[in-house]
Amino acid sequence: MNFELTEEQQFIQQTVRDFAQKEIAPRSAHIDATGEFPHAIFRHMAELGLLGLPFPEEYGGAEADALSVALATEEIARGDGSTALAYLAHIGLGSTPLHLFGTEEQKRRFLTPAAQGEYMAAFGLTEPQAGSDAGATRTTARLEGDEWVINGEKLWITNAPIAGHIIVAALTDKEQGRKGISMIIVPRGTPGLSFGKHEHKMGLRGSMSTAVFLNDVRVPKENLLGQRGRGYSHFLQVLDGGRITIGAMAIGLAQTAYETAVKYAQQRETFGKPIGAYQSVSNMIADMVVGLEAARLLVYKVAWLKDQGQPFSHAAAVAKLYATEASEKICRDAIQVLGGNGYSSEYPVERLYRDTRLLTIGEGTSEIQRMVIARHVLGSFAAQL
Amino acid sequence: MHAVVFIKQVPQQNSVKITPDKQIDASGIEPIISLFDEYALEEALLQVEKNGGQVTVVTIGGEEQIDALRKALAMGANQAILVNDPALATIGSLDAAKVGAAVVKKLGDFDAIFCGKQSTDDETAVFGPALARYLGLPVLSYVFKVHELDANARRVVVDRAMETTTETVEASLPAVLTTVKDLNQPRYPSLLKIKKAQKADIPRWTAADLGLNPTELAPKVTYLDRVPPPPRPKGSIIDGASAQEKARKLVDALVDTQVI
Ligand SMILES: Cc1cc2nc3c(=O)[nH]c(=O)nc-3n(C[C@H](O)[C@H](O)[C@H](O)COP(=O)(O)OP(=O)(O)OC[C@H]3O[C@@H](n4cnc5c(N)ncnc54)[C@H](O)[C@@H]3O)c2cc1C
Ligand SMILES: Cc1cc2nc3c(=O)[nH]c(=O)nc-3n(C[C@H](O)[C@H](O)[C@H](O)COP(=O)(O)OP(=O)(O)OC[C@H]3O[C@@H](n4cnc5c(N)ncnc54)[C@H](O)[C@@H]3O)c2cc1C
Repeated sequence: MNFELTEEQQFIQQTVRDFAQKEIAPRSAHIDATGEFPHAIFRHMAELGLLGLPFPEEYGGAEADALSVALATEEIARGDGSTALAYLAHIGLGSTPLHLFGTEEQKRRFLTPAAQGEYMAAFGLTEPQAGSDAGATRTTARLEGDEWVINGEKLWITNAPIAGHIIVAALTDKEQGRKGISMIIVPRGTPGLSFGKHEHKMGLRGSMSTAVFLNDVRVPKENLLGQRGRGYSHFLQVLDGGRITIGAMAIGLAQTAYETAVKYAQQRETFGKPIGAYQSVSNMIADMVVGLEAARLLVYKVAWLKDQGQPFSHAAAVAKLYATEASEKICRDAIQVLGGNGYSSEYPVERLYRDTRLLTIGEGTSEIQRMVIARHVLGSFAAQL
Repeated sequence: MHAVVFIKQVPQQNSVKITPDKQIDASGIEPIISLFDEYALEEALLQVEKNGGQVTVVTIGGEEQIDALRKALAMGANQAILVNDPALATIGSLDAAKVGAAVVKKLGDFDAIFCGKQSTDDETAVFGPALARYLGLPVLSYVFKVHELDANARRVVVDRAMETTTETVEASLPAVLTTVKDLNQPRYPSLLKIKKAQKADIPRWTAADLGLNPTELAPKVTYLDRVPPPPRPKGSIIDGASAQEKARKLVDALVDTQVI
């Protein structure tokens, strides 16, 4: 077993940490208060090469491994949650499917500008009737001549209104059910494509997740991504990778909450002593340390498995579940340690709590992760049901 | 044009602790590129981007300095050289300049040399001017703006930040420029260049490679004592009924403590 990061991983971690602490963290409160998308930060991230971090150099990427991407995401989230969500949706959801399943031409046309940060990318899976049950997709795509004609509605699509392309899941072969789902690339500005309002959310207010309406949207036949009818298994594979970065984002948010709580516990005095001297406070701090450490080990390990080319789907569910729930608890406890100040937006912890709250929901709820994990152990009981 | 930049890796401020027996506690030191050197490197990169050419970064020190050189490469420098010789482990600023001059001579062709006005650890501000002296070149110290750096016309025009005034000066190239803070905004290393920077072959040069005799470079200054800075006094919160009152109290306090 080797717990050392490589020099390259340390370099990436340090570079993104410096950048996030100087350029992102100071803007986090503003982003939350206004709900403004941090365009300037993303332009700067593009210059650094962050927006194509895992992708091959020939498509404008930095060819970093999954662990480096997790470390970078963690550092970005330490700076700001909204930025982190938009970042991981861009990398993990909007761009990765092209890397995994794209043709050479698709990679040139869509992966390259995304990796170079010319535009943001998005991935549209969720629908009003298809969230956890992603196989219940109702959006349809029918082939008319050389074009797909797409109709349907998507919900909660992160980066959608600012995306250069959206990869949508649609039924190309209705009668086949799940086996009739495919992924199709929809470039921005395609007639018939429109968006709902910037949702007013509990947290992560600077990242834009909106409804997407597809009304007789026509795209060339070549925009089919991956195999026709394999969309369901394709996006499950995409989501496995996405769970690693969601776990990393949870760690980043929790790290900032933890650091804020530690500083406060050392400085704030009640009854003549720093509150850190009281066990009920110091126990919360100790539990934060354990939660962070365990979450890191799980998330880094699954990233490592992925980098080794080993199966990581089960480990991704374990890591995502644990890291996001630990983060929620850590941010909750950080508010508690700060007392009344924890409840105020003068301090970052209430924001971190609101931000991390999404992470037990997005990219597979905690309940779905438990289902995946238990099935791996117990089997599906499909025969008995 | 060929710009040579001397950089030095130093401890992050506040990360240095002094042990009870007055030695430097190496654990917990966070290494960074010395503040002013980052501005020097950025300026060299900017000038080369504008005029075309190459940037060479040079460091004198142990293997741990490699990180600073790799960072410089990921920022855009074209090549890096580490002068690493145990015999040079304890040299002072003046002798470091002598080594620097030997490096520049070995490199041969160059148009401008950039370094920070001083390092943030030793703070001697000797290196740049001494380097110029050893090379017989003009020195433009405390540069805070480069108006023109033209390798073909062999001309450089800069603003120098003096205590209360600024000077605009012109010199012929090659010349040594030492930089102050804020003359530009140092870039972050590019993640796209990290792989290349990690793989880059960084030559190690020794005193012998430079034709130097280490015995002539023995330290000329001996440290007799080290006193850690006094701990920072506790802060206090200024209370008042209104913003005006708080501001007035704050100003009074600053005047009392002779901050303003
Ligand atoms: C801020 C934000 C950003 C998002 N970004 C994107 C995006 O970019 N792209 C995208 O496609 N989607 C995105 N989503 C959607 C997200 O993935 C879904 O919200 C999530 O998958 C849950 O689906 P749902 O909201 O329909 O909830 P439901 O599936 O309706 O679940 C409701 C509750 O029922 C539980 N439940 C459902 N089925 C089961 C079961 N079989 N067993 C046990 N419990 C069950 C769930 O765990 C949950 O507690 C985003 C959502 C948000 C809030
Ligand atoms: C929205 C809001 C409305 C409010 N309204 C009112 C109001 O109308 N009137 C009013 O008077 N006040 C009000 N308060 C103040 C509130 O009662 C205090 O915030 C609360 O008593 C906690 O005090 P504190 O914030 O100073 O936290 P602290 O006392 O500093 O506590 C910080 C942390 O240390 C822990 N701690 C402190 N001492 C010990 C100890 N000895 N042993 C173990 N743990 C300890 C606490 O449990 C907490 O986790 C309000 C606060 C809020 C946020």
